[in-house]
Amino acid sequence: MTAPPLRRGTRLGSGTLSFTFDGRRYTGQVGDCAASALLANGVRLMGRSVKYRRRRGLLGAGPEEPNALFTVGTQAQLIPNVQATQLLLREGLTLRSQNRWPSLQVDLASLLQAGGGLFGAGFYYKTFMWPSWRSYEPLIRRLAGLGDAPLACDLPMPATEHLDCDVLVTGAGPAGLAAALAAARAGARIVLCESEPLCGGELEFERGRIDGQDSDSWLAAMLTELDRLGVRVLTSTTVVADNHGEFIAHAEPGGLPGSNTVYRIRARTMIAAAGALERPIIFANNDLPGVMLLGAAERYLARYGTAVGRDLVLFANHDRAYASAQRLLVGGMRVRAIVDARTDAHSAVGLSDGNALQSLKGSLATAGVEILSASAVTIAEGGRAVRAARIAPLASGGHERRISCDTILVSGGWSPALYADLHGSGAHAYAPELGSFVAAAQSDWHIHAGAANGRLDLAAAMSDGHAAGTRAAAAAGATGDSGSPPQARGDPPPRLAPFARSPCPLVGEKRQFIDLQNDVTVADLRIALAEGFSDIEHVKRYTTLGIGTDQGRSSAVVGAAILAELKGESPAIVGISRSRPPYQPVTMRSIAGFHHGDAVMITRRTPLHDWHAAHGGVLEPMGLWMRPRFYRASGANAADAAVAEARRVRAHGGIADSSTLGKLEIAGPEAAAFLDFMYLGKASTIRVGRSRYMVSLREDGMVLDDGLVLRLAEDRFLATTSSGHGTHMLSHFEHYQAARWSARGATVTDLTDAWAVIVAAGPQSRSTLAQLLGAAWQGPLAQLGHMDFTAGRYAGQDLRLLRASFSGELAFELHCRPAIAARLWEALNAAGLTPYGLDALDILRVEKGYLVSSELNGQTTPLDLGMEALVISSSACLGQALLDRPAFHEASRPRLVGLRAADGRAPFLAGAQLTIDAAPTRPCGYITSSVYSPTLGEWLGLALLARERAAEGATVMARDPLRGRNTPVRVVSPVHFDPTSARMKV
Amino acid sequence: MTRLACPFCGPRELREFEFHKTGPAAGGQGEFERVYLRVADPQLSIEHWQHVGGCRAWLLVHRNPSSGLPLAVELLAGNAP
Ligand SMILES: [Zn+2]
Repeated sequence: MTAPPLRRGTRLGSGTLSFTFDGRRYTGQVGDCAASALLANGVRLMGRSVKYRRRRGLLGAGPEEPNALFTVGTQAQLIPNVQATQLLLREGLTLRSQNRWPSLQVDLASLLQAGGGLFGAGFYYKTFMWPSWRSYEPLIRRLAGLGDAPLACDLPMPATEHLDCDVLVTGAGPAGLAAALAAARAGARIVLCESEPLCGGELEFERGRIDGQDSDSWLAAMLTELDRLGVRVLTSTTVVADNHGEFIAHAEPGGLPGSNTVYRIRARTMIAAAGALERPIIFANNDLPGVMLLGAAERYLARYGTAVGRDLVLFANHDRAYASAQRLLVGGMRVRAIVDARTDAHSAVGLSDGNALQSLKGSLATAGVEILSASAVTIAEGGRAVRAARIAPLASGGHERRISCDTILVSGGWSPALYADLHGSGAHAYAPELGSFVAAAQSDWHIHAGAANGRLDLAAAMSDGHAAGTRAAAAAGATGDSGSPPQARGDPPPRLAPFARSPCPLVGEKRQFIDLQNDVTVADLRIALAEGFSDIEHVKRYTTLGIGTDQGRSSAVVGAAILAELKGESPAIVGISRSRPPYQPVTMRSIAGFHHGDAVMITRRTPLHDWHAAHGGVLEPMGLWMRPRFYRASGANAADAAVAEARRVRAHGGIADSSTLGKLEIAGPEAAAFLDFMYLGKASTIRVGRSRYMVSLREDGMVLDDGLVLRLAEDRFLATTSSGHGTHMLSHFEHYQAARWSARGATVTDLTDAWAVIVAAGPQSRSTLAQLLGAAWQGPLAQLGHMDFTAGRYAGQDLRLLRASFSGELAFELHCRPAIAARLWEALNAAGLTPYGLDALDILRVEKGYLVSSELNGQTTPLDLGMEALVISSSACLGQALLDRPAFHEASRPRLVGLRAADGRAPFLAGAQLTIDAAPTRPCGYITSSVYSPTLGEWLGLALLARERAAEGATVMARDPLRGRNTPVRVVSPVHFDPTSARMKV
Repeated sequence: MTRLACPFCGPRELREFEFHKTGPAAGGQGEFERVYLRVADPQLSIEHWQHVGGCRAWLLVHRNPSSGLPLAVELLAGNAP
């Protein structure tokens, strides 16, 4: 390892910080990013590649970095895949490299692969096919992939902030600042997001003159003016996704604990001014630590005072390389050579500032820099890091050179940052003068400006930004004067000649790395083409070019150019692959925000919720509600408790909390007609004081829900819905009320929370109620017929008493005000009706063949469920017309049946598939519900079975391979117990 | 599209609304045609939304699916699905 290069301190502050990397302690400076701090400590090896485990160092200095991904933090505060270049150093930071085992220096998998050569594209798919990919997947996944996902998450809650503006400007470089300024001066409301800690973008390196000032003074004055104009400037904040006009921005890349904020920004217009990303030129072994982007070296020097190496070779295809070389020389590094892939004729002759370039070249030569035109770096030499560059002339006849160096700085041009467009449907076009792609169309709500729009020189970028800001402000209706465009003068245009890769013999293409993050080489692209994957999107998926957290930032444009070369087409035809949001890794914790743990969803509580929790009720979610499955006092385990509770209900009685039932009041002169339309069967024939079991259909004829409808008055009904469906049924009723009945007299009102419902079921229920409710209720109770209800007062509050049963026992629903629910419940409990939970209720209802969402599962028609009588009684209700479709009447349609074990003993479980012996692998039905019935002493089931197999007495096989059980079962009536319902009609 | 203008509540955040179905029918008189045969026009989608997080009104929304932008919002009143 070479000695640490010279160090001058960062632009962002002073003082030192201590941190660890792979367990070793290092010192950095305030303002360092993790990458610059490690570089200053002489660390060059920062990770291993995903597939080949090759040693990797830094390529870039910004969001383009594909290699240096770290896992930050420890234990439950672990964040994987954080780019070292985007991670601001903090005191005590714990960093770990990824993709290596047991250590970064010695990686076992890389040794294994060294023996077998490199895996090409499709290697995994082709090699691990027998017996199936799945059998190899766990092992391969352990060896591959980026950072490990943490097993626990104890990150503090990130802040979420909602912002609203006319114009969102992404990028506070020259163009973004000009755009924000123009739009703000015109009176538009602006949010300006800059992913770096400081505004200015390229002005950090390119010291131009703007409006007669040096760029630093101009920048300071402009930031003051933006502040005065009320522009919200968010630094260290990256816009990572465009959700159809809601932009997600993330502060603090990597989302370090306690410091990150997610902004949801609703903007009328987005001006994309996020600049351009420098791209490399591809040559053999270009993944060695020490091969870096030229612009990255400039940034490490200018911002962090860190030299990337001592002896440099520059490799580029444009004029900017010469000015860069000059700055690197001034920064104290030795530039051995500039390798220019262009011919002399292309670079300077006949240009107005050609003389300036010639004199720059002269002074570089004087300083000992060798200038090699029409040449290319073909191979990076070195084992652990770069030791030399091999250079060949591009025309035939010249001889090859070898120049010792520790760093090869490469620049193949700049690709406009199109990411937000590439996430969506934005069209793009090839710009040959850039060797890259630009946005093809500019709309008022999505404008690219500056380098992001292909304007690489300062003056053009700033006037482009100004125009974009003016346009966006006008589109937002701002009428002020946006001022005159800034007059800027910076570096001359780069005069780039597209050059994607150096010449290379076929065998060497396995080491020409296009996508460093995913180990995709030129050879892989050839394989993809040979195997017929020629579209850029197919090539992406077959070779993994541009997948992962990188999403092609460092590789998509180069990959498109090389694919074009291999296909003999123009890049304009090949195009560029789409990328996926987010633009940079964002933790799921950040996206979740406060929707975490108990706050993932709201919890609805019945008035008796606390009572259940305090009295051993084991609560489980049902929709947003929590309902007791059973009470601990009833038995040693869930099964025993449920059986005991069900037994008690049949023996003398029990109480259950059914407050979760949806309760909709339908009122108005046409309420009855409305319900006739909404339900199968006729609500209009229910007499006041009576209720009826009703079923509603979706418009395609499938059963949607069921419940009891009570007629409270001639023009007033109460419709109950199943517990999990309450909110949906409310919307469903409101929908059809609005669409078809709005001009007519029927209203829908949600009363779900206005009434608690306590069910008192069992032979003792009537006598217990009579005793408890007092003398006034005794007459009505005695006369109350099945499905009748009566209303009165209890403890000074309204109470409605409905005689209805979901258990098959004599039973009453007490609809009471929430204020007295607990008092009534405790009184019933004290009078000997003890609580039972959902599991007991399930036993009781399966014994009676009553249905829940297991049977009303969205795939069953009323005919499947044996409700022919209801269908006949109804006329023109919602969904009824489509019940006539022939397929609903075929012999293969399911039919609700009951099941018992053929031997009367064996258990069987819901989910098992039903088959006949002649076709043991082709199910003709499945079990929807199964319980052990304490009343009948055997297992009972409900099932949906093909009508042609559903004759009572038939035997089918219940196949349950996942639980290793096959049980012969007998088809019986779904009403297993008390088929005449004598018990509930007493 | 980040906001919808509810006729009662004014422009409101999209997450206050729920999307339920797309209309209208492509043509034909029968119920089957009404339920299943829907127009898929890249320039115009006619949709039903409910302002569930607000006034609960059902809305008829005309939207351009290509741009994602709403063209018109009115009450569903009487416009049969
Ligand atoms: Zn509203």
